[in-house]
Amino acid sequence: MNSRIIAFVTIVGVQALAGALANRIAAPTWAAQRAREPALELPAGVAAGQGATLAMLGGFRGLAADAAWLELQAAWETRDLAATDTLVRLVPAIDPRPVYFWLNGARIVANDLPAWRIEAEGGYAAVPAARHEEIEREQARLALAQLDRALAFHPHNAELRIERANIELVRLGDTAAAAEDYRRAAEQPGAPYYAARLHAEMLRRLGRRAEALAWLVQIHPALPRDEPAAEAELVLARIRALERELGVPAERSYRPAR
Amino acid sequence: MNTPAVAPVGVAAIELRGVVKDFAVGLRGVKVRAVDAVTLRVEPGQVYSLLGPNGSGKSTTIKLVLGLLEPTAGTCAIFGVPSGRVEARREVGYAPESPAFYRYLTGRELVRFCGKLCGLGGRELERRTSDVLASVGLAEAADRKLGLYSKGMLQRVGVAQALVHDPRLLILDEPTAGVDPAGAAEMGELILKLKAQGRTVLVTSHLLGQIEEVCDRVAILDRGRLALEGTMDELLGRAGRQSLVVESLSPAQLEELRAWLAARGRALEAVETPRARLEQLYLARVKRKDAP
Amino acid sequence: MSGVPFSPRRVGLIAQNTLRDAARQKLFHFFLLLALALVVGARWLRDFNFGAPELKFLADCGFGAMALFGAALMITATAQLFCGESESRTVETVLAKPVWRAEFVLGKFLGAIAVAAIFCVTLTVALAAVLWWREGELARDYPEAFAAGRQVSYANLWLAGWLHWLRLVVLGGLVLLVASYARTQLFAVAMGFLVWAICQFQALAHDAYARSSSAAARAVGAGIAVLFPNFQLFTLADGLAAADAPPVLAVVRVTAYALLYAAAGAALAIFSFRRREL
Repeated sequence: MNSRIIAFVTIVGVQALAGALANRIAAPTWAAQRAREPALELPAGVAAGQGATLAMLGGFRGLAADAAWLELQAAWETRDLAATDTLVRLVPAIDPRPVYFWLNGARIVANDLPAWRIEAEGGYAAVPAARHEEIEREQARLALAQLDRALAFHPHNAELRIERANIELVRLGDTAAAAEDYRRAAEQPGAPYYAARLHAEMLRRLGRRAEALAWLVQIHPALPRDEPAAEAELVLARIRALERELGVPAERSYRPAR
Repeated sequence: MNTPAVAPVGVAAIELRGVVKDFAVGLRGVKVRAVDAVTLRVEPGQVYSLLGPNGSGKSTTIKLVLGLLEPTAGTCAIFGVPSGRVEARREVGYAPESPAFYRYLTGRELVRFCGKLCGLGGRELERRTSDVLASVGLAEAADRKLGLYSKGMLQRVGVAQALVHDPRLLILDEPTAGVDPAGAAEMGELILKLKAQGRTVLVTSHLLGQIEEVCDRVAILDRGRLALEGTMDELLGRAGRQSLVVESLSPAQLEELRAWLAARGRALEAVETPRARLEQLYLARVKRKDAP
Repeated sequence: MSGVPFSPRRVGLIAQNTLRDAARQKLFHFFLLLALALVVGARWLRDFNFGAPELKFLADCGFGAMALFGAALMITATAQLFCGESESRTVETVLAKPVWRAEFVLGKFLGAIAVAAIFCVTLTVALAAVLWWREGELARDYPEAFAAGRQVSYANLWLAGWLHWLRLVVLGGLVLLVASYARTQLFAVAMGFLVWAICQFQALAHDAYARSSSAAARAVGAGIAVLFPNFQLFTLADGLAAADAPPVLAVVRVTAYALLYAAAGAALAIFSFRRREL
């Protein structure tokens, strides 16, 4: 056989062997990394070629996502409904790692896009109230779906849970769902203290005052007294208010450990 | 410079036996023969020249000797060691044709680097580096970047790096290419100096006049084949002829000489006016700026 | 005459010389300055108003510069340092001395990856400095956002620099392999960029072929997956926060992955170069 062919076959063979071994070594890392990466199938309506190309640019993924985010900002400023709607999904598809992209994207979908759609259909005066509500609910559900995708990448992120709860409460008027998401947010490591207070507030609004009281009594001992954001005194005041509303006798009232 | 070690008796400095070199050209790998059954032997201490037109196989032969190319057939050896082996190059210094080297290194850095590659170090390396740079007339330009060297200076630094480890065999590929006559003359003197030290020199050059002056033996290659090989006397000497140089004779004296020769059965074949060589005239008038 | 053993000292000498030659070339300064300009200049791109995530943008610029200009530097430097030597016939001067071809190839490779190391260290230091400075400014302007202290994990930043360098080492090994048989520098550079592009898209190509119903296409996908390294793996530590830091084992695995590919590339370059006619 020609020596060039032998050399070529040797090079390909050795490289393939080394590659197979290297792939075995890195397989668990790659599997874990893929689990954190966006699916290659991009959302419907997104220019797949452009998106996939950008998304796979490895070292430039972050930069590509930043550039797309800037484009989104420009589209948002000019109230370009179609472009904003597309880019809001494209940006986290390129780089799903920054929570910022998911969070602000969901806010745009839930809060800005309904207004623009109503304007596009003739404005608030011309569009009937039922249609307003329909559009707002539709957009809220899209925003929640966006947040669900985000939670698949960042399951322990409290901010995403809180945003979910906010949309459920404000846009859908679903206090029970909001209560549940505030609770789940409060249970995440590093969650802001107000998530737990909002969970109690939602329970109170739902008339589940005993549950609200139990929840507050449960969280109060862990609140740091020297942390203003923890609002330990405020939580204690609410405990007292709920005890009064529920007629809890003085001897069974909550006694903070001091 | 140190006196080189004496080669074992009977071992040639360079020996090529039936060397053939084919190159595959183009995608189809058509074979082109660059060197065709060349057999030659360079004895230790000789100055040996390879001559031939462009494309005659001189550089290919040198690369075969150095082990940079592998012969298709035949054998090459340096001091009895096959050229393909690394140790064959331990006693060899090679100055390539029109070298470019590392543009951003200085002459001293290049020579030092080559010395280190050959195992030199410490004071010995510094001493050898300075010595060889001085011997090729580059003492002043030693710390200048090679990118700023003229073609002639590059040729000379090429020789310096070849000499740095004090090799027994020096291979110079077209050492005078692009060099001015003064530089070429200095290169000739250097070769003679190396010969006087007992070193073996294999040189290729287009300056046949210079080769004639410094070489012991020449081989002429033509289209890869050895066309002619022998000592200068064997190849150039005209047996049974002599030339005499005398002060000018008048026509009458010339006739008298002719008659004198005829009476002894000899004929005067030619009467010419000898001329000084242009190279000698040039060298007498031009003093090199960077001469050592 | 006794044999000449393989010498790490000569490998080191060739590497040192390669590094010195490369570090003095304008090409190296050009890429380094361009990348530094992007890293440092990103701070003054006032239009990019991200608020707190501006730090992420700065880091993305830094990593992008490291990946893009690093790849361009590695490809051109390796091709130039290797093929350029053949074209200028410096290689003949070196190999006419008692030097093994393997020593020459390894020396060139080590020199090229040392160039990449200087590049990555310089950019990582510059990026860390820009981030530290900007983070301090933002912490003064938005104290509530930085209530928990600094957001950037500088240990993670160095880890990212390490992984970016490893990627360049792998790329260098592959370009060296190409250069070991390439006849011209231009060919080596063009092939180097092609190899880089394939490695960037390796995972995508592999997935696309793997999903195909055709057995031939699946075989092509499997071939790509073993012949070309997956450069996506090296973005493991591109996140800024300490929470984004990859597990130690993952970094060890990726390092082993890179070194294996680089070693294979260098070994095959030696194999390819051992009988090359100069």
